[in-house]
Amino acid sequence: MKQAFLLGNGAMALGLLEAGCQMLTSYPGTPSSEILPETVRFAKQADLNTVIEWSVNEKVAFDNAFAAAISGKRAACCMKMVGLNVAADSFFSAAYIGNIGGLVVISCDDPGPHSSQTEQDSRFMARMAKVPVLDPSSPQEARAMIQTAFEISEQFQVPVLVRPAIRICHARQNISYGGLKNNDTKASFKREPTRWASTPKFRFLQHKALNEKHVLIAEKFAALAPYNQHNLQPGQVYMLGIVTGGVPSAVVGDLLAEFDRTDIPVLKLGAPYPFPASLADPFMDACDRVLVIEETDTVIEYLLGDRRKTLGRLSGHVPMEGELVPEKILGVMNRALSDCGLEPLTHGDTPQEAFELTTTLDLPVRRPTLCPGCPHRASFYAIRKAVPKAIYPSDIGCYTLGSNLGGVDTVLDMGAGITLASGFWHAFQQDGVDKPVIATMGDSTFFHSGTTGLINAVYNDARFVLVILDNGITAMTGMQPAITQGLRVDGRKGNAIALETIVKGCGVEYIRVVDPYDVTHTIDEIRTAHEWALSPDGGIAVIIARHPCVIGLRDQALTETFEVMVTDECDDCGLCHLRFECPAMKRNPEKGKTEIDPVLCSGCGVCLHICPKDAVQCVS
Amino acid sequence: MKTYQFVLSGLGGQGILFMTKILAQTALNKGFNILGAETHGMAQRGGSVVSHLKIGDAGASLIRAGAGDCLISMDEAEAYRYLPWVKPGGVIFANAKARAFPDARVAPYLDRHQITSFAMEAGKTAFDLGSPKSTNLAMVAFFAAFGHGPLDADALRETVTSMSPDPVKEINLKIFDTCHEQGKQRC
Repeated sequence: MKQAFLLGNGAMALGLLEAGCQMLTSYPGTPSSEILPETVRFAKQADLNTVIEWSVNEKVAFDNAFAAAISGKRAACCMKMVGLNVAADSFFSAAYIGNIGGLVVISCDDPGPHSSQTEQDSRFMARMAKVPVLDPSSPQEARAMIQTAFEISEQFQVPVLVRPAIRICHARQNISYGGLKNNDTKASFKREPTRWASTPKFRFLQHKALNEKHVLIAEKFAALAPYNQHNLQPGQVYMLGIVTGGVPSAVVGDLLAEFDRTDIPVLKLGAPYPFPASLADPFMDACDRVLVIEETDTVIEYLLGDRRKTLGRLSGHVPMEGELVPEKILGVMNRALSDCGLEPLTHGDTPQEAFELTTTLDLPVRRPTLCPGCPHRASFYAIRKAVPKAIYPSDIGCYTLGSNLGGVDTVLDMGAGITLASGFWHAFQQDGVDKPVIATMGDSTFFHSGTTGLINAVYNDARFVLVILDNGITAMTGMQPAITQGLRVDGRKGNAIALETIVKGCGVEYIRVVDPYDVTHTIDEIRTAHEWALSPDGGIAVIIARHPCVIGLRDQALTETFEVMVTDECDDCGLCHLRFECPAMKRNPEKGKTEIDPVLCSGCGVCLHICPKDAVQCVS
Repeated sequence: MKTYQFVLSGLGGQGILFMTKILAQTALNKGFNILGAETHGMAQRGGSVVSHLKIGDAGASLIRAGAGDCLISMDEAEAYRYLPWVKPGGVIFANAKARAFPDARVAPYLDRHQITSFAMEAGKTAFDLGSPKSTNLAMVAFFAAFGHGPLDADALRETVTSMSPDPVKEINLKIFDTCHEQGKQRC
């Protein structure tokens, strides 16, 4: 056995391989991104033959895993919670159809949100799709739950969702492991059209069968210790009990132990749906009131169904939004205990005093920003220069941070840079207005969900410029390989697909490739493309702004570097550090001008082209 | 045993993760369980980075504000930002000028809650010794001189020895010994 200090995502990778998962598919997204690379790492260490792929998007990932599962193999796919929205169509349908080999979906939630567009609770997706769900409270438990998830999935022939929240994924814990072995189950597919290709008539029957499975799974969940359990003393009644699950259940456990409170019973629901009523009912009976502490929404609270007895989000005791960090949970418990006439855990609030103190210190605001030398910065600068009065639809990736440069007006979801562009065009066109629209999208997002929107826009004759920000990598989520590079996650070669080919295939006639580091040329090309798009015979113009990521592909990105300095010509206008927002450029308040931080400066040289006073020069 | 809880803060690129790993590996070597929480993704792009590490048996990875035993910060502003996580009676180690730390606006709060603080110019020391990126090591060594928590200086030095690749082992140990000595003189 080895011991390692693993991310929760690494612990889950081990869990997958220990359970004999034969195929794992995924699309990266924080906080899920490390599960798949960690699985590759452990599979290589143990020389396993696990099929592991970065898929083009989450729906594609799900479908691939589903096919393996209905061939009798154990398969899994993982994603962030908004990725499950993308896979929802398949996910819902698969619950009815069911599977043969175990099928486990890991959907990682991001309460906060730290790195997401919503705070949605994947347990609600499970409830809506009628898929059983497990909610781990620690990396170690997440690892073990994956084994349970496969067993339930195979026993009841239904996909199972595991919902780790960010504090599982990006927690680290010492984990012992060893002895991974291949699962040698062979693929076999038995034709059964009434199941695998069922029509609505059979869907009704499948729905009925699924509902019948749920009764049995709920019974199983009622006895699923240690994931589902309570610590009631026989015959005792309580003024308040706590119902909890997932990450908050670990915090509640720590708090009760720290303050030595054995008078508050806890019902832990790490497997909350199908709801284990026969476990929960005696708990509800023994407590005058129950406080529900769950992340992120009101799943358990709704399922308990006794609103008059329940304190939680619906009663205003628990915040409706934001992460349930430990200090918040302490506050929630203190208030509920007081409301029930019990002694709170603590009196007074030292951290609050400190939080108030820190707001008086004028600490530097460090908002997320593009890295020094990021080619996207140059692209957004060029877009703003070329067509300053346009609408700039964009979407999800590092390039979302183009909003800091005024180059991103909308962020709806993956792929919406294009679909909002066509929507804007038609909305204004209805009023006879040729509204300039410059859309942006990263290369990975374009493959994920850009093509359908682009085909739609071409077909329906929208007019706009799309700038595809091609940095050759999926950067924001941790430098996963791009389809255009033809590298796969396990190091094997894939078949590279060129963006130009896809764009042309979508029906776009106007395609130009530029290097955004050449800012002057890029401005010209965007301006020309915009004029063409709005001309009578125009259409959709695509500019591929191609330059490798300065972090993930540093050697390719910085083939030539410039040592730059700011001359006395600098009139302190602030454009370079406020609008262009290069982190390596800082205002020196004593000198009243900009300075270059040589440690942060990447030497990209783009700033040589942006200073209105021409005060940025090469050190000769 | 009761857990010992580290809050580690700084800026992106200063090597918070490596610092966490040195402390974690030392704890593992001593037979403790460990549980930590990290920053990734969009949140990481902002410059302010924090890592939580609990030594001993804990259920939840995040440290509760007001419950951290020790804050080690590689940046002065980032030390103040995470001040609310330090418990009354806790201790702060910051990469800052010793004479100017803590800020006069902060000192009364620290006094009121019996929070002690120690600062050294770890970044400058690492730079002067020829390894500007080793502020993290410098801070660990400085911290180790004061005997807080279950990780002693010898054990931490041993971890630095085993985790440093050969080309930088010598310089890393030099930084460790220099900063540890600076800490010793301040005890």
